[in-house]
Amino acid sequence: MARGRGRRRRGGRRGARRRAGWRRRVALRAGVLALLALAAWVAWLDLRIRTEFEGRRWELPASVYARPLELYEGAAVGREAVLGELRRLGYRPVPGAPRPGTYALEGARLRIHTRRFRFWDGEEPPRRVTVRFAGGRVAGLAPAGGGALALLRLEPALIGKFYPRHREDRVLVRLEQVPRLLVDALVAVEDRGFWRHHGVDPRAIARALWADIRAGALVQGGSTLTQQLVKNFFLGSERTLRRKATEAVMALLLELHYSKEEILEAYLNEVYLGQDGPRAIHGFGLASRFYFGRPLEELDLPRIALLVGLVKGPSYYDPRRHPRRARERRDLVLRLLAERGVVGRAEAARAARAPLGVVPRPPALAEYPAFMDLVRRQLAREYREEDLRSQGLRIFTTLDPLVQAAAERALARGIAALERARGLPRGSLQGAVVVLDAGTGEALAVVGGRDPRYAGFDRALDARRPVGSLVKPAVYLAALAHPERWTLATLVEDEPLEVPLDDGGVWAPRNHDERFRGPVPLYRALAESLNVPTARVGLAVGVPAVVDVLRRLGVRRTLRPYPALLLGAVSLTPLEAAGAYLTLATGGFRTPVRATRAVLTAEGEPLSRYPLETEAVLDPRIVFLVDHALQRVVREGTARGLARYLPVERLGIAGKTGTTDELRDSWFAGFAGNRLAVVWLGRDDNAPVGLSGAAGALQVWGRLMAGLLPTLTPFAPVEPEGIEWAHIDPATGLRADGGCAGSVELPFVAGSAPAERAPCAGTPGPLRWLRRIFD
Amino acid sequence: MAAPHLRLTAVPAAFPLLAALAAAGCATAPPAPVVEPGGAPVEEASAPSRPSPEGAAPAPRGPVLALLDEARAAERAGDLEGAAASVERALRIAPRDAVLWHRLARIRLAQGRWRQAESLARRSLALAPRARALAARNWRLIARARRARGDAAGAREAERRAAALEGATG
Repeated sequence: MARGRGRRRRGGRRGARRRAGWRRRVALRAGVLALLALAAWVAWLDLRIRTEFEGRRWELPASVYARPLELYEGAAVGREAVLGELRRLGYRPVPGAPRPGTYALEGARLRIHTRRFRFWDGEEPPRRVTVRFAGGRVAGLAPAGGGALALLRLEPALIGKFYPRHREDRVLVRLEQVPRLLVDALVAVEDRGFWRHHGVDPRAIARALWADIRAGALVQGGSTLTQQLVKNFFLGSERTLRRKATEAVMALLLELHYSKEEILEAYLNEVYLGQDGPRAIHGFGLASRFYFGRPLEELDLPRIALLVGLVKGPSYYDPRRHPRRARERRDLVLRLLAERGVVGRAEAARAARAPLGVVPRPPALAEYPAFMDLVRRQLAREYREEDLRSQGLRIFTTLDPLVQAAAERALARGIAALERARGLPRGSLQGAVVVLDAGTGEALAVVGGRDPRYAGFDRALDARRPVGSLVKPAVYLAALAHPERWTLATLVEDEPLEVPLDDGGVWAPRNHDERFRGPVPLYRALAESLNVPTARVGLAVGVPAVVDVLRRLGVRRTLRPYPALLLGAVSLTPLEAAGAYLTLATGGFRTPVRATRAVLTAEGEPLSRYPLETEAVLDPRIVFLVDHALQRVVREGTARGLARYLPVERLGIAGKTGTTDELRDSWFAGFAGNRLAVVWLGRDDNAPVGLSGAAGALQVWGRLMAGLLPTLTPFAPVEPEGIEWAHIDPATGLRADGGCAGSVELPFVAGSAPAERAPCAGTPGPLRWLRRIFD
Repeated sequence: MAAPHLRLTAVPAAFPLLAALAAAGCATAPPAPVVEPGGAPVEEASAPSRPSPEGAAPAPRGPVLALLDEARAAERAGDLEGAAASVERALRIAPRDAVLWHRLARIRLAQGRWRQAESLARRSLALAPRARALAARNWRLIARARRARGDAAGAREAERRAAALEGATG
């Protein structure tokens, strides 16, 4: 330091010259540095723009769809059901059904103009079809323009979404899909110079500045659409000069790299247009559905004007909360469009007379929490939670909204009626329902509690409760597999039974009515759900054999082979119970319960399919016998009460009641030809509810099936080879004939029907006559 | 108490499609040459005329036939999973149609999914145990699936059953 100072003092003029040069050099260097810094900054912004915009993939929620409704001649779908489906899909009545998404009621006929939809197996084009109905069924399809159509598949209803964590929701649209009018209106209102400027519009800024000066405040922004996009994409919402500069540079860069069309498309999908609770509504595609319940393609001028007006302030102009403001804004937009030549004046005036056209706020897409739970769990085997929430997957499920509605109604009303009739504390009783397609194992409805919208504890999937007598068919399947020893006619002692246990205790099962009946035929022991005979049979065939049958039926839990298992000390969820009974309904074919049919990518490419699978696990003859006995449960046994709700005889309903100790759990599992349902009732705290299976769950089951009655087919199992039928005298279990009062006809594994004749049988006619007198 | 009704309904009545296919075979283009080494196309199977169960509307034919056409087209294009999807769609409409289960079994066999092929064929058998021609085809299919899996004895047994049925058919 000291030395330097000395040199300077010595330096004189030369020193001054040098100082000036030094300053110049510093200035130069600083300038160069500043330029370099600027260049680096711009390069960095450029890099960000290119990488982030290029690789920009919105985190898209997965869309979950119900089953599509299929219409064909003979389909058990009435006109009301189809209308309900169309309303669910946001179709609207327009005479002649001129456009996709419209329908027209023409007397008894229904004309539908369907929307294009991409399914797993390809695209369904828009079709215009007249549907005829007769007797609650589809009587015929007639496509417009003649020809024949065997099958019409409507688009499936959207039933839910798996949202990204930030809860941004959008429905991506391609620019070609967006009505030209919307694009023109947006440009006219938000950024008149869009097609000419390079990202920043100096004229717009000047105009805005002039307006601000005249008003003495910030009243107008000169932001281009590109700048707005940059702001939403890359920058926060703070309003500093620096941020403005960054925004301008990035807007210029964006325009340098990308076409106007690409920028516009990104804008249309990015822009924030509303709020639905925690869900943020982004993009015009979703906004159209959110406000108007229809796709963007189907919007008319007043609706387009409203959406374009919303860009300025979605919450301030919220048409649901502030309809007056929204209307003023819309009409201002319409005047602007007329002024700027986008639409004619008359057209704009006409549009300004139209109502807002906003639909009531759609249900929050959380209508089916229990079913969505099942879908999520089944998909979790193959998909990461992260991907389900961000990849925009399209998930096609098996949910039938009509069956689901019937199940929800039956459970809510059934529970309320039971609480009233039995004097139970209101709100104490809970329940769950699972409905399956009895042929394919598709889950049609899942209700997780009496309040089906409540997304809390899902009892259908998570309430593991002892099944009680629901387990009995497994005991009889195990026994009847030995036809030389047991048939449906075999007499079993209904006498007190005591079984010493390993732990020194004694197991002494009793019947629900505390009575003993002496010898009863096996089929009746099942029909009347008698515990003691069932325990005897189960002990004789061996508990491990029963466990083996349960496994074959599809029960996957660890089962401990204790005697109490024979009477239902097995805890299952309603869903698991349904899966096991499905194997009975299919005649011995285990069929996995499926809630998902297929998953597609956001672009509509097939990703995975969940095929129908089946496996022969039980001798069809034995299942046939047990199914017959289960039909007797309904016709003459513990489930007789179902006749109050249904023509059980015609429908051949098979089912089983289940009750647990101290009446804590009330179960019913049963099936018609095409539908299987399991109902559980009980309390969350596991306290007794005072309801047997017949008094409780059966009532809900009956209501449910009565609601589905027009769609039910009879359970009429195909008789396997190797079955014979015989009339039996139930008192003796021996062969009967016309001389035996109260004889029953039962199926047997061929060769196992009793040969010996009952005392009432075999006597010649006249003598029989006499005999009856003396008896 | 007698149960004549139940017995009646226990009679197989699950394949209106067999008759429909036989009829359709004349009216429309010849069946696609989906070669099933087990024999001729199954569509030629003859249907025993049994009453349909009381109260059950017969399964609709039109949509099922249309979907089978779709399945055939997909199969020809080499899209076996697409074909399976179409058959499953038909099964939702007519779940008791033994021909449809057999059709699905054939697709699984072509995909080399031997166990599923056998199970599906068994389900077809269970739905129409007395339709001999179809039953024979199902046993042939099971024989192939078993052989492919290395179960030679099981395959021979299945072939024996197929032959017995074919002999009886004449």
